[in-house]
Amino acid sequence: MEEATRKTIVIDPVTRIEGHAKITLHLNEDGRVEDARFHVTQFRGFEKFCEGRPFSEMPALMARICGICPVSHLIASAKACDALLAVRIPPTADKLRRIFGLAQVVQSHALSFFYLSSPDLLLGMDADPAKTSLFGVLAEKQELARDGIRLRQFGQQIIERLGGKRIHPAWVVPGGVSEPLSQLNRDAILAGIPEVLKIAERTLEWFKSVVERFREEVATFGNFPTLFLGIVKKDGGLTFYDGGIRIVNAAGDVVANGLDPADYQQYIGEKVESWTYLKSPYYMPTGYPEGIYRVGPLARMNVADRCGTPRADQELAEFHELQRTAVLSSFHYHHARLIEILYCVERMEQLLNDPEILSKHVRAFARPNSPEGVGCCEAPRGTLFHHYKIDEQGLIRWANLIIATGHNNMAMNRGILQVAKHFVRGERLTPGMLNRVEALIRAYDPCLSCSTHAWGEMPLVVELHSPSGEILDEVRRPC
Amino acid sequence: MARVLVLGYGNPLLCDDGLGWQVAVQLFRANASPDVEVLPCHQLTPELAEPVSRAEVVLFVDCRRDGNPGEFYCEELCPESAPVAFTHHLSPTALLDLSSELYGACPKAYLVSICGESFETGEALSPAVERRLPELKARLHHLITDALAGSMAAH
Repeated sequence: MEEATRKTIVIDPVTRIEGHAKITLHLNEDGRVEDARFHVTQFRGFEKFCEGRPFSEMPALMARICGICPVSHLIASAKACDALLAVRIPPTADKLRRIFGLAQVVQSHALSFFYLSSPDLLLGMDADPAKTSLFGVLAEKQELARDGIRLRQFGQQIIERLGGKRIHPAWVVPGGVSEPLSQLNRDAILAGIPEVLKIAERTLEWFKSVVERFREEVATFGNFPTLFLGIVKKDGGLTFYDGGIRIVNAAGDVVANGLDPADYQQYIGEKVESWTYLKSPYYMPTGYPEGIYRVGPLARMNVADRCGTPRADQELAEFHELQRTAVLSSFHYHHARLIEILYCVERMEQLLNDPEILSKHVRAFARPNSPEGVGCCEAPRGTLFHHYKIDEQGLIRWANLIIATGHNNMAMNRGILQVAKHFVRGERLTPGMLNRVEALIRAYDPCLSCSTHAWGEMPLVVELHSPSGEILDEVRRPC
Repeated sequence: MARVLVLGYGNPLLCDDGLGWQVAVQLFRANASPDVEVLPCHQLTPELAEPVSRAEVVLFVDCRRDGNPGEFYCEELCPESAPVAFTHHLSPTALLDLSSELYGACPKAYLVSICGESFETGEALSPAVERRLPELKARLHHLITDALAGSMAAH
């Protein structure tokens, strides 16, 4: 059955649209989990079918990879195109792109935390699956549901105000942005900030009040030593737009700093495994698989010395107190995500109050001046690389993307094994077991469409295998 | 504040699935009335509960997968609190329920739809859907006119 499905995915384009992720849990003779794998069996296509397209089309084309975080792809792609043009974009365009990216982080994190994970946090990991949705949250704690919806709406409205539409806006272009910000839109965004700042603060307080209930999950949800990777400013501050790559180890020590994202191929390797379309990036100096690292909110909180905004800095200092070393449990992705929402709102307010922000000079024009360009930014789920090579006509000849979910591939696999070893017993998957395995994945907030650059829906399948390979149990969840 | 909200939803890259999106985009471009808000969207997401709560009448436009290709439907909707396993996207009735629960307002709502024939990758509507498109647009126009006139009757 498994083999047949894989063949169908490769051959049949309908299956490519459907796609799916699958977890296999392998039991030993004692009925305990011995191995676990997270298979992403979607076809990886965007890097190939963009070949031959004019480079100027890339931002809009790449944004189609994802309906949740198109803005991150727009920004990374546009930055790669800026490198092809070899231009320095106008300062106002730089700031507007930053606001755009921060709004994206707010809406994406709100979706992850409130829509997907808050039911577990509010109702418990063993709650009736029929109730573990936003509607379950609504019934139990209406303010939490309302806050989540408002935060996501706020982020989306900013994207719409800047980009003209909520999904797949094409406002970020090579050389800058296509339109300046109007005073009307600036004032409208600023007017909403006090409300969402309060939401971010009270959600953080709520999370900190409930996290004690999840000691067992904190201890077993991807709680192991790895490296952490993210971009930071020159002063070590948090940034989502540009900076140097910093890598810290599990002890919290900086092992690499100020690495140029354009040189990523010198320190990031991509291992291909036969059982998944998702590559496994690793830190080359440490080798594979020892070079396992994590990216995203948890990694950013571990690599950053400070946020650079007052409230988020307080929260980050508190976060760093969770552990003397780097904060290792992937359960804390939730906590980190909430701090980032707070930071994004504060930082947007700073940028919107910048006297230059309404400047009309928002785009630099040039012809291609370099045959190769790399764009890098921090997407909601982690560090995002777009790398293009063009010919003399400006047509794409080669492209490579490294997506946040890909960076976390090894860590997700190891995390699934850890959580499954702890919670899965016997030959049947109970809802509580299944939910914990899924909750571990939710903590990383993976985007499988992004990571394989595929289209479509991704139902999740969890299989329990006997030592002989027999499927003992299978559970399917729509995604 | 707009009195009528039109929500056309679907994926414009999956042939007939994009019906609602396409209709909403066309209406958005043609619409000059401040009383009518048109939102093309890929899915019905929880955030839409807020604009839904502000409207007097909400008109959903969609392509359905059940039934015979080309069949046209216009039905009044009521809020429905069915269990929802995942809330990236909602049904129209669940969205109405969310609006009612969160904001205490549930407008009159209709779903106008055509049964699709093709949901493959592509931007073109199937002939079966294309044939009934004028009828759908005409009904939508009538519903908007009636809503603005305050004479919303059963359709």
